[in-house]
Amino acid sequence: MKTLVSSMLALVLAAGAAQAQDAWPKRTITLVVPYGAGGYTDLIGRMTASYLEKELGKSVVVENRAGGGGIVGTGAVSRSAPDGYTFCVCSVGAISVVPFAQGQKVGYDPVKDLIPVSILSTISQAVVVKKSLPINSMADLVAHAKANPGKLNYGSSGLAGLTHYAVELFQSRTGTKMNHIPYKTGAQGVLAIVSGEVDFAFANMTDALPQIEAGTVRTLAVTSLGRSPYFPDLPSVHESISPGFVVETWNGLMAPAKTPEPIIRRMSEALMKMAEDVEVKKAMIKAGANTVKTTPDQYAKQIQDEIAQWKPLLAEIAGTKQQ
Amino acid sequence: MADLFSNLSLGFLVAASLQNLLLCLIGVIVGTLVGVLPGVGSVATIAMLLPITFGLPPIGALIMLAGIYYGAQYGGSTTSILVNIPGEATSVVTTLDGHQMAQQGRAGPALAIAAIGSFFAGCVATLLVAALGAPLTSIALLFRPPEYFSLMVVGLIFAVVLAKGSIPKAILMVLVGLLMSQIGQDLETGVGRMTFNIPDLADGIHLSVVAMGLFGFTEIIRNLENNTSRDILKTKIDGLMPKRADLVASAPAIGRGTILGSILGILPGGGAIIASFAAYGLEKKISKHPEDFGRGTIVGVAAPESANNAAAQTSFIPLLTLGIPPNAVMALMVGAMTLHGIVPGPQIITKQPELFWGMIASMWIGNLMLIIINLPMIGIWVRLLRIPYRSLFPCIILFCCIGIYSVNNSTFDVVMAGVFGLVGYWMAKHDFEPAPLVLGWVLGPLMEENLRRAILISHGDYTVFFRQPISAALLAIAAGILIVAVLPTIKRKRETVFVDD
Repeated sequence: MKTLVSSMLALVLAAGAAQAQDAWPKRTITLVVPYGAGGYTDLIGRMTASYLEKELGKSVVVENRAGGGGIVGTGAVSRSAPDGYTFCVCSVGAISVVPFAQGQKVGYDPVKDLIPVSILSTISQAVVVKKSLPINSMADLVAHAKANPGKLNYGSSGLAGLTHYAVELFQSRTGTKMNHIPYKTGAQGVLAIVSGEVDFAFANMTDALPQIEAGTVRTLAVTSLGRSPYFPDLPSVHESISPGFVVETWNGLMAPAKTPEPIIRRMSEALMKMAEDVEVKKAMIKAGANTVKTTPDQYAKQIQDEIAQWKPLLAEIAGTKQQ
Repeated sequence: MADLFSNLSLGFLVAASLQNLLLCLIGVIVGTLVGVLPGVGSVATIAMLLPITFGLPPIGALIMLAGIYYGAQYGGSTTSILVNIPGEATSVVTTLDGHQMAQQGRAGPALAIAAIGSFFAGCVATLLVAALGAPLTSIALLFRPPEYFSLMVVGLIFAVVLAKGSIPKAILMVLVGLLMSQIGQDLETGVGRMTFNIPDLADGIHLSVVAMGLFGFTEIIRNLENNTSRDILKTKIDGLMPKRADLVASAPAIGRGTILGSILGILPGGGAIIASFAAYGLEKKISKHPEDFGRGTIVGVAAPESANNAAAQTSFIPLLTLGIPPNAVMALMVGAMTLHGIVPGPQIITKQPELFWGMIASMWIGNLMLIIINLPMIGIWVRLLRIPYRSLFPCIILFCCIGIYSVNNSTFDVVMAGVFGLVGYWMAKHDFEPAPLVLGWVLGPLMEENLRRAILISHGDYTVFFRQPISAALLAIAAGILIVAVLPTIKRKRETVFVDD
């Protein structure tokens, strides 16, 4: 009798849970973009929102909560109700890098306070140099840097961004020393190479692509593990000079911890479908980005790998600063 | 030359299709509304409309977004003149004489000359973009950090020149603006400056917060203080259109403003803002009656309005060919292009001629539509001033608050704007002008960024500013203007004080 009651109870509960799951989404879903309107992450967020609207049949709105390099908005989502109606269009910096910088208080734990749902897009970096320099390969770049320590200037999209840390990591791996010139946006950093202000950059493909196509800069390599679909002839940094050197920027959807598992699963399904959508793929590729199909587990694994790569470097940077 | 005509005719062929004309019209109407409602920012509007444009062909989408952009510039000057609230940084200068004119019952001519000046500037700048767009790109590349720094110095000197009161007070205001613009994260070290551990201050204080506080809220407090000034506004309105004398006085100013704006607009970052200040400063400097400036002279509206519109048009050159957006609205347009698979860059003119020339042609059509829409609207706007102030001011406050909130979705910003309103009231009582402060605020971060970058690149060599020819020339101009401005003004100011007494 007791077992019958409890099994009936379980059945009712299960039905209730299933119903709750069927009913989601009941109202408007908010995607928080922790960067300003018009930026790359914002665009990915808006593209995702319009796709999800069709897929889930409820309106999906984008809310920009810019500030502190993505910390403000990401932190806000980590503290919001885990009811399946608030998600964060996260970016690699505020998840895998910045929280581990010395002396940085972000107010959230990127691993414990947020659940990964799916990566939306990835962008690899291209190593581009000033054309007037006699540098034609990654080996040339390292040789030139070693012959002129501290003389080569590199541009980035700003302090503590991935285009900055990528070169820091490169210096640490190759034992070179270069001079960092931060810009406000990645496109400005690339343009500074064209105008001759700086010597090279590890630039996001989205920013570098127009100049590469116009032939105003020389491209040496890409930072993804494999070769880029845009330039199959270009080697990767990993294969040419620094094995294991992989830097990719990603945007991905994350939810507050404790968001019900069925909702995460439904969302993940929708986003995996989006990754295969022809229109979405076309728009991303033209912009210099790639779509990827990731399960929540794959996404979580990637974050762990990245933290393992960046954490020691950040400690090293902090160490040299103190000396 | 033949090329130019064939290119332009290709452009007009694209822009004059029924669908594109309609999109252009929707764009400029939405833009005008956005500009006129002090609350709704054009960034937020374009961001909201972005998904709607997904279904449109890329050229149509861009024509509409561009329409919103220059429509908002147009509408922004309307609020500057009517209620002393600059919708954008570029229309801050318009408040100086524009609102004075409105208070003297000449809102109609002020609005009309703003529209006419903008239209003329738009036409000239469109032609300029068409004829010289590609070669002009190389000028932008000549401007490196030292040149930009020196250009900002020139801009700040203009901010001092345009002050109508005491020069030391104007310099003080510029310095206060520069200082307060440093609030927020340091560009190179990431350290918070003057943030007092308040996270909302980590990214500094947004310009719209300062502008709406110092201009909008202060104006309301002052109006509520004395009811009489509003009565003048209600009763005495002479004519909606500018008189012959107004047009004659404005024509050369419009011409000079257009040239200045066209040149400065090509420089990515801050060009349009400096253009409006520089045009105003130039007119004041060469005028026979510099004492009229700031007291409602029509030239003080014509020059900056032509300059900012010309700059708004020519700023499409760096946007399209370099992919460098000069402001947040343009950044959204880059985003829109990317979404439509168009990557702005050096090859856009050769790769997508219909898009490039279609957009240029649509700018001219859009400007024409704006003037057709706006001239008849002047009567309605002026009638708006007849609404009893006790009903009007709560609406203005409401729209301002919504607008400030919508920038960052932050209530902190709204409170800050209120604080700036009170500060502005104190400043007004003690004859400190807000315009130089705002210019310092706008140029401060750009100036710092380029100063530090120039020093970093030159490995600590400060002489770089004098060794680069363009930079050295700009610094010489700045020094020249300062000397010319300060010496006689001190003398003349004494005289005017005597006369006033």
